[in-house]
Amino acid sequence: MSLLERVGKEIVGGIRMVTGQGASYADARWYSDDSCQQFMILDGNLEANDTTVESGIGVRVLYGGAWGFAATSRISDIGSCFSRAMANAVSASKLVKVRLDMGSRPGITGEYSSPFEIDPIEVDLSEKVDFLRSVDSSITEDWIARRLIRVQLQRLVIHFWNSEGTETSRTLVNAFAHLTAMAPDIDGQMQRRSKTLHCRPDGTRGWEMLTDPELWSGHGERVRKELQQVVGAPELEFGRRSVILLPGQGHLQVHETIGHPLELDRILGYELSYAGGSFVDLDSFGTLQYGSPRLNVSAYGSIRNSPGTFGFDDEGTPERDYMLIENGLLVNCLTSRAMISEANQRAGRQVFTESGGASRSTAFYRAPIDRMTNVNILPGNDGSLDDIIASTEDGIIVDNPTSWSIGSNREHFHFGCEIAWEVKKGQVTRVLRNPSYQGHTLEFYNSLSAVGDRSTWTVEQVENCGKGEPNQVMELGHGVPVVRFDDVITGERR
Amino acid sequence: MTGEIRKMVMEARDRAAEAGMDASIEVHHENSHLMRIGNSSVSLNTSEELTRFDIEVIKGRRRGTHTLLGEVDSADELFRIMQEVAEKAECSGEMDYAPVLPVISRTLDQSSQYDPELEKLDPSVKEAVYSEIIRSCGEEYDYSGAWSSGSVETFVVTTAGRNSSRTLLTDQQFTCVLKHPKRKWELAHWQTGWKAGAVTAGNTVENFSSFLPVYERNEGFRVEPGRYKVVFGSQALGELTGMAVWTGCHGRAWEMKTAWTSSKKPGDKVFHESITVLDDPSSENVFSSPMSDSGLPTETIPMISGGKLSSLMYDRNTASKYGKEPTASAGCLSMLPGEGPADLSEALKDHDMVLYIPAIHYMNLPNMSRGIFTGSSRFSAVLMKNGRVVSPIFSSRVTDSFERVFGNVLGLSSETVSVNTSNTYGRRSPSALSVPSWILVDDVKITDCADSF
Repeated sequence: MSLLERVGKEIVGGIRMVTGQGASYADARWYSDDSCQQFMILDGNLEANDTTVESGIGVRVLYGGAWGFAATSRISDIGSCFSRAMANAVSASKLVKVRLDMGSRPGITGEYSSPFEIDPIEVDLSEKVDFLRSVDSSITEDWIARRLIRVQLQRLVIHFWNSEGTETSRTLVNAFAHLTAMAPDIDGQMQRRSKTLHCRPDGTRGWEMLTDPELWSGHGERVRKELQQVVGAPELEFGRRSVILLPGQGHLQVHETIGHPLELDRILGYELSYAGGSFVDLDSFGTLQYGSPRLNVSAYGSIRNSPGTFGFDDEGTPERDYMLIENGLLVNCLTSRAMISEANQRAGRQVFTESGGASRSTAFYRAPIDRMTNVNILPGNDGSLDDIIASTEDGIIVDNPTSWSIGSNREHFHFGCEIAWEVKKGQVTRVLRNPSYQGHTLEFYNSLSAVGDRSTWTVEQVENCGKGEPNQVMELGHGVPVVRFDDVITGERR
Repeated sequence: MTGEIRKMVMEARDRAAEAGMDASIEVHHENSHLMRIGNSSVSLNTSEELTRFDIEVIKGRRRGTHTLLGEVDSADELFRIMQEVAEKAECSGEMDYAPVLPVISRTLDQSSQYDPELEKLDPSVKEAVYSEIIRSCGEEYDYSGAWSSGSVETFVVTTAGRNSSRTLLTDQQFTCVLKHPKRKWELAHWQTGWKAGAVTAGNTVENFSSFLPVYERNEGFRVEPGRYKVVFGSQALGELTGMAVWTGCHGRAWEMKTAWTSSKKPGDKVFHESITVLDDPSSENVFSSPMSDSGLPTETIPMISGGKLSSLMYDRNTASKYGKEPTASAGCLSMLPGEGPADLSEALKDHDMVLYIPAIHYMNLPNMSRGIFTGSSRFSAVLMKNGRVVSPIFSSRVTDSFERVFGNVLGLSSETVSVNTSNTYGRRSPSALSVPSWILVDDVKITDCADSF
C-alpha cells in the first residue's frame, strides 16, 4: 500500500468516525509536500538562500453549526487530530447564534496541476543563483545606492477528502520575483523603481517565467532609466486631476477596493476583529452601482496561468468563471459554501446560488476561509495607453505601489506610488516624484472614464495577501488593463 | 518540546561541530489555540501543535538556511539535513562581509512568563467570557472577536560553543468587537497577558459600557481635513511607537539610508523631550526575550532618551557588514509614562475639542525617508470636549510624520499598559510593547474622512 493510500485510508476512517459522532460535515487536507525557496540578493549579497519544507494534515469538522479545526505535522497522529477537531467543534457549538451549514453536493474526484515546463524547485541551485545575479547586474550602476532581487518559488502537493466522498489531488507551482533599484533624490530621500514578475495568461508558470525577459528579467534597463528620471524630478503638487493606473498599480487598486470588499465572509462580519468589514451588504447585489458602466469585473476569469488558478478550492469545489460586476452593477461576490448558506438565510432570499470556489487555506495548519481567486477588470474599448493619454486633459499616470492604506470597510483608501508621469492636454510632459492619490471607493469607481483594450491588459501576481485569524498569507492574480479615473485627490495636503 | 528533541538537536550539533561545520539549530515548538467569534457565534475553534527546525550553515562568506515543519525522528536525519544546507551554502557565492553565527555567551533557560494553566486553557473558558460579554452588553448587537492563547518553546544551539538557550512562555491575545447591525458603528476592546485569568469579561463590559450611551444617542461626526488636537489611545500609540522605532532605529535601515533618521546621528533631537523609549526585556508588559540575535543576554537599552535619538539596534550580520558591535537587543519596546492622570476625562478637561483615536487601522508609510505614515481611525473613535465624550466620529485618515506627532506632545498618561503586537502568520511569535495609556498631541493632520464608520 502506498503512503497516499495508507494516509487516505486513515483519513476516510477519521471522517467516518466524526460523522458517526454527529458531525454534519468533515474534510481533511494532507499536504504531502509544501516546499518553498526564497532568495534575496541585496546589493550583490545573497542575503537569503532559504528553503522551507512543510508537511502535515489539517482536519475540519462541522458539528452543531460550528467549526472545529485541528492540525498536526505527524502523519502518525491522524486519529487524534480528528478527535481534537471534533472536540473543538463540540465546544464551539455551545455558542451558536447562526448555524453554519455546508448544504450538500455530490462527491467528485479530480486532479489538477498548474501548467509548468520546468519545476522551479528542481532547478539546480547554482543555476538559479547565477541567473539571479545576472538580473542583479542589469540594475547595477554607480549612482544606484541599493539593489534588491527577491524571488519566491513554491510547489505544493495537496490531497483532499470530505464526508461527501470528494477526493482531489493538486500540484500547484508558483514563481514570484521582484527587482528593485533605489537611489537618493535631489532632497536626499530614497526613491525606488521596481518590476514584479507578471504572467502570460495562457502561458506556463514554472522557472521559465523568470527567464522570459518580457515578463521580468529583461526590465532592468527600463527600471534604471526611470529611476534616474524620478530622482531628479519635482514633487507632485496636491490637487484634483485624472489618474491613469498602469497594471503595476491598478492590480493593487482592484485587490484592495474590489477584491477584499467582495469577500462574503467580510460582508457577513466574520473578519471584523482583524481585517475589517465591507461597505457592501446583502442588499447591494443587483442594486449597487459600484462603478461607471465601463467597469466589468470577473472572478477566476479562465486564466490558465495565475497563482489564483488552482483547479479545486479547499472544499473540493471546482474553480468557476463568473462576473462580480457587470457594466458597473454589483452582481456577485467571492464565496465558499458555508457563507452562501448563511447569506441566503440572513437575506431571506436566494442572493447566491453556488459557491464561487473561493475557500482557500495557506497551509495544512490553517482552516480555509473566503479568499480571492483571480479578480479581474475586463479589457474595455478605450484603446491603447497612447489613446487614453491622448484623451486626457490634466492628469498623471502612476505605476507600482510604495504604500497602501485602506479604510476598515474598504470605503476609502490612500496609495503612494513609485513614479508619476504628468499628462497635460493629451501629452506626457514630465516625470514627478512622491506621487500619491486617495479616494472613496464608490465615488472613485464611478469616475472611471477609460478602460484600455486587451493590448493594455496583463495578469499581475500577488504573493502576500494577508487575512484571517490565525493569520494566513495567500497567493492570487489580477488581470487588469490600463484604467483612468477623473477628479481624484492627488498628492499630499500641506 | 520533549527532552528527546533537545537531546537529538544537541547530538546533531555535536556531529556538525566534529565535521567542522559552522551551524546553528533553532527548534520552535508551539501549542496554539484560537477561538474566533463572528456574528455572536463561535465561527472557528482551532488547535495546532507544530514543531519547526530552523537550520543555518555558514561557510566563510557564504550562507544557507532551511526550515523544516514535519517529522524529524533522529539526530542522523537532522545531521543529513544540515549537510544539505551546507551544500546550499556552498552554492551561495561570497558576500562582501562575513556572516556570523550567534555565540551564546552563557546557557540561558527562561520560563518566568510560563503558565501551564494558560497553555491548556479549555475552550469553554473562552466561550464563557464571550457569552458573558454578549449577555451583559446586549444581544441586539453583533459580536466578533478572536482569542488566541498558547505556548511557545524555543531551543537554540550552535557549533560556536556548548551553551544553549531555551525559552518557554505562554501568551494570549483577546479581541472583542461590538457592532451595531444597522448603524454599523464598531467598538473594540483588547486584552493580553501571559497568565490565565488576565482576560476577563468585566474589563470588556466596562469599556463598552463607557461608549455605548454616546454611540446610541449621537450620529457620527464628520471631521473635515485639517489640523486637530488628537489623543491617541494605547493601541494607536503602540503601533506608532513600534513603527517609528523599527523604521528609525534599526542599524541596517540607518546604514542603508532608508531610515527616517538616516540624516541624524545618536544625540540628535528627534522627538519632544517627554518621549523616552527603551528596549526593555525586564518590563512586565512585554513578552521577554533572554537572548539577542547575536547570542548575548539581552539588556535594557535606551533607544530614544528625552526626545533624542539614543542608540541603534545592530543584529549580528548588520554589525559584521558595517564594522559595528552587535547590540544586546531584545526588541521589547517600552515608552516611559508621563505625569498625566490615567483618567482621560480628567486629562482633557481643559481642552475644548480633541479627537480620541484609540487604534489606527492599516497603517503604512507613503514616504519612509521622511517618516510619513498614514492610517485611519476605526473602533471607538470619538470627539471629546472638555473631557466629555460628545459624539462618535466617522472613519478619518491621519497622514503625518513621526517627528511631528512625537514632537508636538501635550501630555502623556502616567499609567502604562501592554499592547499585544503578535501576529500568527506562519509561526506563533508573541510580542508586545509597553506604552502609556494615552498621548495627547497637538496639530495632527487629518487628511480625509468618510461618510460612515
